[in-house]
Amino acid sequence: MIRKTVWLACGVLRDELSRLHRDEMIGGELFFLDSMLHMAPPLLERTLREQLRQRCGACDRLVLVYGDCCAGMLDLAREFRAARTDSINCAQLLVGRKRYRELMREEAFLVLPEWAERWREVMEEALGPDAAAARELLKEHRSVLVYLDTGMVPVPVRQMEAFSAYSGLPWRSERVELDTLLTGLMDAEARAMTIMEGEKQ
Amino acid sequence: MAKSASGAACDCEEFYRQVLDAMINADRTKAAAIIERALDCGIPPARVIAEVLDPAIVQLGTLWEGESMSLAQNFIASKIAEDALLRCLPDHEKDRDRKGVAVIGNIEDDFHSLGRRTVGLFLNAAGWQVVDLGNDVPAEQFLEKAREVGARVIGVSAMMQTTAMNIRKLRDLIDGAGEQERIKLAVGGAVFNWRPELVTEVGGDGTTRNAVGADELFTCLQEQARIPERAL
Repeated sequence: MIRKTVWLACGVLRDELSRLHRDEMIGGELFFLDSMLHMAPPLLERTLREQLRQRCGACDRLVLVYGDCCAGMLDLAREFRAARTDSINCAQLLVGRKRYRELMREEAFLVLPEWAERWREVMEEALGPDAAAARELLKEHRSVLVYLDTGMVPVPVRQMEAFSAYSGLPWRSERVELDTLLTGLMDAEARAMTIMEGEKQ
Repeated sequence: MAKSASGAACDCEEFYRQVLDAMINADRTKAAAIIERALDCGIPPARVIAEVLDPAIVQLGTLWEGESMSLAQNFIASKIAEDALLRCLPDHEKDRDRKGVAVIGNIEDDFHSLGRRTVGLFLNAAGWQVVDLGNDVPAEQFLEKAREVGARVIGVSAMMQTTAMNIRKLRDLIDGAGEQERIKLAVGGAVFNWRPELVTEVGGDGTTRNAVGADELFTCLQEQARIPERAL
C-alpha cells in the first residue's frame, strides 16, 4: 500500500517546495495557502482549521509547513494529528536556527523570494495609511534588508532596490541552499509517521 | 470634567477615542499631540494611562483578535502606544532602586522585543532597577542573572506559543534549584493574552495583560517572594 503525505504549506515557500517535489526529494501532495494570511493570524488559523478538517483522514501523514504564525498553531497540529515543521517562522526554516539567530542579532529584516515580489503590497496596504510612519518604525527596529536567495528565481534586484529606497535600509542578498529546508521537512514527516503509528497501536 | 488653559473640555473618553483613531491610522504625531493635550489639561498622568491609553491598547487587542487589523498595522499601533505611554511616565528618579531589582528578557528563540521594552520602561519609571537581558535569552542566563543581582522577580516575555513553551525550562530550573519561594516568575507577551491558560502551562507565577500592570504584578510577586522567616 502506498503511503501518502499531504503537505499543507504557506505559499511563501511554493517554489522551493515544488522544486523539492519535482526532484523527488519529497513525495505526496502539496497544498498551498496564500502567504498574505500571515498578516491576519486569526484568519490564517480559521483557514488552516478548515483545510485540516478537509484533509484529515484522507491521507496517511499530514504535515503543516508553517512557523508559529497564529496563536493556536500547536493546538491545530495536536487536534488534527498533524506534524509541524519545527521552526518559529518560514525564514528560520530556510536558514536554520543558528543562522537565523545571527541574522536577528544583526537586526536583519528577512525577505523571502515570494515576498520580495509583494513587498509593496504588504508595506503600502497592510501597514496602514501612513507610509512615512511605517518606514520610520521599520528603521527603528531593523538595520538591513536581507534577501534570502533560494535560487529558484533570479535575485529581484529592481524590487529590492525599490524596497531599500522605500524603507531607507540597505540591502544585500544571501544565498540559501534548500538542504536545511529539506531536513526540516524530513524531520516533520518522520514525526507525522510516528503520530500515525501511535494511532494504529 | 476638567478644563484646559484655553477653557476646552478635557474628557478622557474623548481623548481615548481620538488617540485610538490616531493609533489605528498610524498617526504617531497626532497620537503624541493628543496625549500632550490631555496632560496639559491637568489630567494626572496615571489617569491618562488608566482612562485613555489602557482602554485604547485593550481595544487594539480586540480589533486584532476580531481581524480588523493586520499584524503589521497592530505592530505600528502598538509602537505608537508605547510612545504615548512614555509621555505619561512620571519621573521617579528619586525613588529609583527603592522597589527592588527586576530581571527581564525575551525567552530563547523569541525576538519580539516591543512589549518587553515597554514593560522595562514602566518598571523603571515606577522605581525598579531593571536588568534587561534582551532577546533570545536562555533559561540558565535568567536564573544566573537573578542570583547575581539579587532579583526576586524574573519577567519573561514570549510572543508565540512555541517560544512561550521554552519558559518551562526556566520554571524547571528554578524549581530544580529549590528557589521557587525566593524567585517568582512573571510571564507576558501577546500569546498569553490570547491563551491565558498558557500561564499555568509554562509555570508562570503571574501575568499582566499589558505594560500598564507590570509594576503592580512585580510588586505583588516580590511580596510573595520574601525569604521565609525560617530561612533568615
